[in-house]
Amino acid sequence: MAIIEEPLALESGQADIAERPLGVMTRPQGGNGWRDWLSSVDHKKIGIMYGVAAMFFFVVGGIEALLLRTQLAFPEQGFLSPQLYNELFTMHGVTMVFLFIMPLAAAFANYLIPLQIGARDVAFPRLNALSFWIWISGAIFLNSSWLVGGGGADCGWFCYSPNSGITFSPTHGVDFYAIGLLIAGIASLISAINLIVTVLNMRAPGMTLFRMPVLTWMLLVTQFLLAFALPVITVALFLLIFDRVFDSQFFDPEAGADPLLWQHLFWIFGHPEVYIIILPSFGMISEIIPTFSRKPLFGYSFMVFSGIAIGFMGWGVWAHHMFVSGIGPISVLAFSLSTMFIAVPTGVKILNWLATMWGGKLWFTTPMLFAVGSVAMFTIGGLSGVTHAIAPADTQQTDTYYIVAHFHYVIFGGGVLGMMGGAYFWWPKIFGYMLNETRGKIHFWMMLIGFNLTFGPMHVLGLQGMSRRIDTYSEGFGFEFWNLISTIGSYIIALSVAYFIYNTLRSRKEARDLPPPGPDPWDARSLEWMLPSPTPEHNFDEVPIIESQDEWWHRKYGYDEDHNVIRIATIEEAAQKGDAVGVHLPSPSFWPLVLALGLPLIGYGIIFNLWLCVLGGLLSGGAIYAWALEPVDDPDADHGPHDDHGHDADHSDDDDDGDAVAVGADDSAGDA
Amino acid sequence: MRKHTVSEVTTPRRSLGGIVILFSLVLAGCASDAELDTLKPQSDVARSIDNLMDPVLAVAGVVMVLIGGGILYMAKRDHVDGYEELDFPEQIHGNNTLEVAWTIIPAVIMALIAVATVVTHLAVNDTEANAYSVEVAGETESWEPVVVVVGQQWWWEYRYYFDQDIDAEALGDPRLLPEADIVTAGQMAIPVGQEIELVISSRDVIHSHWIPALNGKRDARPGFWAPWKLEADDPGVYFGQCTEFCGLSHSRMRMQVTAMTDDDFQAWVDQQMTPAAVPVGAEDYVAELRAGNNASLGESDSAAARGLEAFVSNCSSCHLIDGVNDLTYTGATTESGSAPDLTHFASRTTFAGGILNTYNRDGSLNRDDLSAWIRDPQAMKGNAANDLGDGVAPRGMPTLGLGERTISDLVDYLETLGPKPSDELIAQTEVD
Repeated sequence: MAIIEEPLALESGQADIAERPLGVMTRPQGGNGWRDWLSSVDHKKIGIMYGVAAMFFFVVGGIEALLLRTQLAFPEQGFLSPQLYNELFTMHGVTMVFLFIMPLAAAFANYLIPLQIGARDVAFPRLNALSFWIWISGAIFLNSSWLVGGGGADCGWFCYSPNSGITFSPTHGVDFYAIGLLIAGIASLISAINLIVTVLNMRAPGMTLFRMPVLTWMLLVTQFLLAFALPVITVALFLLIFDRVFDSQFFDPEAGADPLLWQHLFWIFGHPEVYIIILPSFGMISEIIPTFSRKPLFGYSFMVFSGIAIGFMGWGVWAHHMFVSGIGPISVLAFSLSTMFIAVPTGVKILNWLATMWGGKLWFTTPMLFAVGSVAMFTIGGLSGVTHAIAPADTQQTDTYYIVAHFHYVIFGGGVLGMMGGAYFWWPKIFGYMLNETRGKIHFWMMLIGFNLTFGPMHVLGLQGMSRRIDTYSEGFGFEFWNLISTIGSYIIALSVAYFIYNTLRSRKEARDLPPPGPDPWDARSLEWMLPSPTPEHNFDEVPIIESQDEWWHRKYGYDEDHNVIRIATIEEAAQKGDAVGVHLPSPSFWPLVLALGLPLIGYGIIFNLWLCVLGGLLSGGAIYAWALEPVDDPDADHGPHDDHGHDADHSDDDDDGDAVAVGADDSAGDA
Repeated sequence: MRKHTVSEVTTPRRSLGGIVILFSLVLAGCASDAELDTLKPQSDVARSIDNLMDPVLAVAGVVMVLIGGGILYMAKRDHVDGYEELDFPEQIHGNNTLEVAWTIIPAVIMALIAVATVVTHLAVNDTEANAYSVEVAGETESWEPVVVVVGQQWWWEYRYYFDQDIDAEALGDPRLLPEADIVTAGQMAIPVGQEIELVISSRDVIHSHWIPALNGKRDARPGFWAPWKLEADDPGVYFGQCTEFCGLSHSRMRMQVTAMTDDDFQAWVDQQMTPAAVPVGAEDYVAELRAGNNASLGESDSAAARGLEAFVSNCSSCHLIDGVNDLTYTGATTESGSAPDLTHFASRTTFAGGILNTYNRDGSLNRDDLSAWIRDPQAMKGNAANDLGDGVAPRGMPTLGLGERTISDLVDYLETLGPKPSDELIAQTEVD
């Protein structure tokens, strides 16, 4: 909702300024190289930037992991000093969680949600750009501690107090951790609000909530989790940084505080975070498996409700991270039991995916391999999760490598493999060329084998009593063999990631000699596949009227009287051409980028010199003003007809859901 | 007829089968002599945990095989190499009966596991130990068998109070504990077949006390006394490791529990209750010292006596030796305010937080490691003792820059702080 609707008249008499009367506040125009990316408010470009940055940090976090595994390959090695080891495992966890998996999910959410619900863009395009730029500035800030902070944070990713206090961690690493995550958290919070509003308000006519693709559903649940979980970690991080910089004594036991408070705050955020990581992947699996089974998803409403149930129950299990912390036996029991029962909706999902495949025509393309592999690996992680829901058993398992194995099976097996499948699946839609399938399959097998070699043995190591976070181990405890296997596996994973990157580049080159993939290379089911590949900037030529779940499939296929599938339109007939002209799109803006640049300055100011905070505050504050004052539209930009799709409520058939009719996409795709 | 451009397809037949086989191999690899093995319980309480865990692992294994096998079976039966036009299976959207069934069945399985969990959990947390009779100074004390466990960077302290009921209020601040009958470091002695209560806290950051063969772990948290318990079926040595990340040398914070017969435990109590031995030739020096006078040993032929004097001038501001500096000792200048009690140093078979052997395999004193440790502890175990800047207390033992002769004297003196344990115990407790 821009403040200024009318162009401001300037006094200058120059003709070109008179035509573009807004001076410095003029909104930039798209289409001029790198500036286009820096100023873009297009959800697709922002999604791509999230994805590329996430892959960069995947490599960073992966290199950290390789260094850790190299140190642990043999007992009593001195490859890394204990201090550096502690910093590396901390930064590995922080990088993978906050700078890889979450932004990778954000990449898909940004790119796909508007397409799957038939919208022009997200609800607040400039805020969307702001989310990305804040996140990337937080990510760079966090990692800059290697260069200017005397090393990374050395407190573990959950950074328990008082070990994270200034007494026990006197370098600046933990400061960068706290402020970096605070900055990145702002991004996730803004993005969550933006995407929630988008899903609730901007669905195409007829796209009722229960016609939405399961991916959009899972992403919606994820955004709600983010919106409620991030304020908790924000509070915790504020208290931590105030403790460290201003001696506020929130967590200092010597001042009478109980450091258990930090654990509660962290895990009230930290456990929903697990579902924030896993649910997007569940959504992608729920798109991929039906496509390559040639069947609709088995039990759509069970899938949706189990996802929602996981989202709710995820709030009631956090203290299972604290079974041995000394909280009372009855509170331990309460969390033990709630944790067991969260396995139920999770199990429903797994069985429904299998039922979707049952009797289907299973075409094991690369996305399908990743999706099915992810289901199998997540099952293992879920089952080991049940074993430590049992509180007495957890007293043996917690803080051992058994836990490390468990959460890597969940996060890497369930999350990363599923999203890798998503990458292969949507690649042609996003970039307009297919990834080579042979190489894709080699990538899958390398990654799956490497993954199991790395993390499978950790189950054994943990049950044999190997503690987490030890920078080395002695001979004679039986740890040698499986640690070496695990290290070998980690190098195979690294190779597979390198091979994936190679595949993307090589396939791009080869694609010049191949026919374009067309709008729907997989014969898929949801709306994004009715658009040309890559998606045109304006998404839909005309906003589709939605009549069923799997709308796109139903535009291609129907049933005869015997319930046999018949073709009612070819892909070419049913797909949109992407040739609409004069579609009214939100104008680009540089101010989100400028605003975001001020935040790390404030961060450095808190650590090094408070005057820098003033500078950063001026930059961000100025950008907020400029943002508010820039016109809602570039006066030179195309202004297509505002009624380029029907607002006809009659199309929304018999559904009594009040949200059935979306607000016109171009109207509300205005500005934040 | 539209056929998809992407057609290279391999079947996943080998894939998941391989995983299942690999995983079984991995589980089979559990069999070993690992001293920290969680699946080899040596006490009733650890066994009850294991008994709860084993059937769940079995059920989990079955579920894993069913799901993995189901995927493999479908992959074999239903795979295709691309789609022909209108090549559709029956379009099934769901089945409420099935879905309700596979919601309820896991819920029932979970409920069964939950019942077993509740029973075991309450038993594991029930710490009502029977009193145990210990003879202290010729009198039989009814010891409510509690051992006070205090963690600090990066070693464990064990304190025994035979003549008082221990509760959190009596103990108060873990940094300033009342004087105990016995104080040891890195090695806890317990009588066999007797449930021992632990109360666990920390003097700095959070640690976690874990003897896998005897029970699960419990965090040591500053400002809080956590109840826990241990029991050993048989005499022997049980290894442990700090399991909550506690900073620089977390990996080098280990401990052992020695379970003894009643007679052996009584003998251990007797020797630990005696003050430290005074080396020959240093009797007058110690007497002067304890009288509060400015004492000096002067020239002495006894290396151990010279070592005692070196201890007083270099070590006594942190370390306590009962019978030497107990009258003036007010705590260490380290961040935790503590350092290991050395009164019976040579009766313990490990030192430096349980990572080094006091004795060689042949039973002789491990002079090499002892000298190296006193010479430069940082090189043996990073402990952030030096270079912390002004006003920051060391965490762990600082490098003191002592001369070689002084180091040698100190080692000679430490050797007198016995009694030396049996060769059998030395062999059992050996760490790498």
